[in-house]
Amino acid sequence: MTRDIWKHMILILGAIIVLAPFYMMLSYSFKSPGEIDRGVGGFFGAQEMMVDPRCVKLRDPNRDEVAAAAPQYPGKSDSEIRAAIMAQAEIDCSMRPVVFNYSKAFIEAPLLRYLLNGVIVTASIFFIQVLVALPAAYALAKLKFWGREAVFGLVLFCLLIPVHAIALPLYIMLAKVGLTNTYAALVVPWTISVFGIFLMRQFFMTVPDDLIDAARMDGMTEFAIVWRVMLPTAIPALLAFAIFSIVAHWNDYFWPRIVVTGSRDLFTPPLGLREFKGDADGSFFGPMMATATIIVTPLIVAFLVAQRRFIEGITLSGMK
Amino acid sequence: MAAIDASAAARAPREVNRQARTAWGLATPALALMFLILLVPVVVAGVLSFTNYSLGNSGFDWVGFKNYDRLFSRSTYEKMFIATFTYVAVVVPVSVALGLGAALLVNSLGRIGDVYKTIYFLPVMATLLAMAIVWEFMLHPTIGVINQTLELSCGTFLEVIPFLGNGCADGFPLWLGDRDYAIWVLCFIGIWQGFGFNMVLYLAGLTAVHRELYHAAEMDGAKSAWERFRLVTWPALGPTTVFVVTISCIRAFQVFDTVEAFWPQGGGPNKSTYVMMFAIFEKGVQQNLIGIGSAITMLFLVFVMFLTLIQRWLVERKVHY
Repeated sequence: MTRDIWKHMILILGAIIVLAPFYMMLSYSFKSPGEIDRGVGGFFGAQEMMVDPRCVKLRDPNRDEVAAAAPQYPGKSDSEIRAAIMAQAEIDCSMRPVVFNYSKAFIEAPLLRYLLNGVIVTASIFFIQVLVALPAAYALAKLKFWGREAVFGLVLFCLLIPVHAIALPLYIMLAKVGLTNTYAALVVPWTISVFGIFLMRQFFMTVPDDLIDAARMDGMTEFAIVWRVMLPTAIPALLAFAIFSIVAHWNDYFWPRIVVTGSRDLFTPPLGLREFKGDADGSFFGPMMATATIIVTPLIVAFLVAQRRFIEGITLSGMK
Repeated sequence: MAAIDASAAARAPREVNRQARTAWGLATPALALMFLILLVPVVVAGVLSFTNYSLGNSGFDWVGFKNYDRLFSRSTYEKMFIATFTYVAVVVPVSVALGLGAALLVNSLGRIGDVYKTIYFLPVMATLLAMAIVWEFMLHPTIGVINQTLELSCGTFLEVIPFLGNGCADGFPLWLGDRDYAIWVLCFIGIWQGFGFNMVLYLAGLTAVHRELYHAAEMDGAKSAWERFRLVTWPALGPTTVFVVTISCIRAFQVFDTVEAFWPQGGGPNKSTYVMMFAIFEKGVQQNLIGIGSAITMLFLVFVMFLTLIQRWLVERKVHY
């Protein structure tokens, strides 16, 4: 029992180091700029009302607006009216730090657009990967044809090439055909997953031939067999592959950084966060941490809900 | 296999022919993309690495081995190799060892251990770029939580530790801005992010170790936990270790997100963290020096392929116990 306590102490120390940045990220996303600067306020911060200086500045009335407001303030001078309007603005512009941080995250940058782009890109990549890999895997696993060994050898060879490593020539080729700064550029290099082919082929090898022969007897074409017989049997493997693929591409920063320049409309979440950081002065730590939290949360929550599947999916590459 | 052969032999030759055609039809899209997206770029990079090509120029000149020559003679690239290999040489062994250690501890605790497994796996899931930015805040020299925490030790008995004592006297390190610390901080974050992944792979490997082996080892006189580990667990984890080391190497070679997040301009203080992926990005994409970028790409591919081939060779050869 005492030995177990030692184990727990070591593991808890590790857990503290592992969790520290997550804790800080959440905590910063709750606090006001002052609290972040001074390093006070515990986890949630005091949540005292704070005034958003930019919001107030935007409502600073010009001469016409002061004149227009004059009837509401009878008998006051212009400067008094302006002071009254500003006082009202300060009231309207004050909010809790947590509200400030999270609303700024969405207002200062088109975060929703980034998230949407992230979903579009990861989903397209996964669907095209399946569309391409599944038929090939079926052919390699279950059909006899001349050259099959050569094709499989090619798959094994291509497993050696990490796509990130050949990013530069891919970028040049895409630039030559004028595809940089498009959704296509974000998706195309990932449409072929040699790993997916390999994985699904290994899985299909275990599917009994009787099942396929029975389908052929029923007059199904090979093409129909892929989608109506093999696909349903492969759901568990596909799910694991989906997690593998989605996690990799939601988090990917290197490739989008290369092919998307300038146009915010195409930014994926990590790119958006990066740009936010570039713009930010010190007072924007809070909103930036709120953005980071929003980007990291979907996968973390999904992971916590379906841990076993996630670990299976991510460690897929460990299967032989 | 026998069943396939038998049923294929029973079928008429025309049927076999038809199946072959369908098979090629099914595999063609994948094959075409494999060529276009994986093989052609390797060739393109290989060819361009002997030129002085730039995007936007209509032509280019052949420069022979000049790009490669430069890689092995300029001090910038010497720093690139040093940074890359330091990172790999630190991150791989430490994250593999920590992964194994964590797996053994977690495994021995049974169900409670799963809590730690979940926690240690979190960094693997989290967007590395976002976490890099958080780390950057934490490492901020003045308002960062790390130096603030270290300052708490000032004025206490902890000052006898030289690191803390010097820090209290002359100020604590700048971390990311300090050329003596930058690469180690980078390594630390690499380890922080990756060891949970290795742990999970080792946990999977541990489930495959047969209980009887431990009993047998005990019969043979392996009394201490260390003996049992040395005689049973470690050999049984051989295949897992080969795989874990290879994949850690490949991932470590590809480090980029943290470097770009911390030092968008030029790879850290005194180029101490100028890793290869960042060099490819900076030279090839930002500065449009495609020849030199391609040469780095080719070198990079050679390293990665070499590693994977060693792994396959090891797997086929010896690690089956």
